Amino acid sequence: MNLMAEILIQVVIAFLAGSLLLGLHRKVMARVQKRPGPPIIQHLIHSLKFFFKETAFPKTVSKVFYIGITFILALIWIVGVIAGPVAHDSLLILFGVYAVYKIVEHNSGSSSGSPYGKLSCVRAVLSAATELPLFAAIVFVYLVTGTMDIGEIIAYQSVHGPLFFSIPLAAVMFFMLIITKSPYSPFAITKDKVLISGFETEHFGLLRGFMHFSESIAWYVMLWVFLTIFFGPLNAVGYLIGMIVITFITGFINATTPIFSPNHSVMTQITIGAICFFGTVVMIFSGVVA
Amino acid sequence: MASQKIISIILLVLSTIAILACLVINCDAWIVYTVAIFGIPTWVLSLGLLTMAKPAPEDAEERIKEPFTGY
Repeated sequence: MNLMAEILIQVVIAFLAGSLLLGLHRKVMARVQKRPGPPIIQHLIHSLKFFFKETAFPKTVSKVFYIGITFILALIWIVGVIAGPVAHDSLLILFGVYAVYKIVEHNSGSSSGSPYGKLSCVRAVLSAATELPLFAAIVFVYLVTGTMDIGEIIAYQSVHGPLFFSIPLAAVMFFMLIITKSPYSPFAITKDKVLISGFETEHFGLLRGFMHFSESIAWYVMLWVFLTIFFGPLNAVGYLIGMIVITFITGFINATTPIFSPNHSVMTQITIGAICFFGTVVMIFSGVVA
Repeated sequence: MASQKIISIILLVLSTIAILACLVINCDAWIVYTVAIFGIPTWVLSLGLLTMAKPAPEDAEERIKEPFTGY
């Protein structure tokens, strides 16, 4: 198939599947909290609706930066789609994508001129703590498989079985990243309702729709990477079931857990990360992991 | 607003042409990746800038003066 056609198809799949999964996430949260909740398709409708909403650029914003940062957000997750589902390239590229995502959170807040956005921007620096467990998880995958290449990791698992069973604590570390990025997460200190919508507060109308577009793709890519490097190789049905199950689990966790204060959030992430890190080190050096 | 509309139309046309060119012609992978990475977000953003509703002239000043409103 033509490479551009493959990229376009994967981007559309990522957007549609990501939107529906985020809609499912809200539905699960609502049901756990004994509310009817919005229809599953609501997130997708919202994303499209915002493209036609009245949009103005507030006087307080740095306009080029304010629009440009939403462009960068979309750009990095298109890179995520290419490096992941399309090319099965290196995990380091995806780590880079996630690192830039933190920069987007930071600069989206600072470009807005809003005090809520700026406070969210400060919190984005604190929440970089999530990158440490992610990096450790990637290192452990490398230590076990001897490669960072997603295609080769899939090939390794087809011979030795899913990595989830050999380095489960590394999978827990990666899963913590997914919880962190899920809506209404206990670790979502940058979007705490105390800050209205955090770094997105001043991005309304079209720009909010554009950010929804990117975040739907981001959710799909993160779930795809998690399933691929810990449960691969999977077929389309396997991915679908895996993504729905993870969305259910994160929805349940987020519905039953309040958002932590920034210091509690960071300490909890670092503590879980440290326990999983040393647990995996012990497993590797005691010979539990082949 | 007029200049924003012109720029949006130019970007939409350019990104559409670039994406279609990569669909029709078999280019090197790095060219396709570059067009996809920059072209797809440009296409979506420029289309959005054209489809978004603009405030009525009498409300325009009020809209940009009243930040921190969320949606």
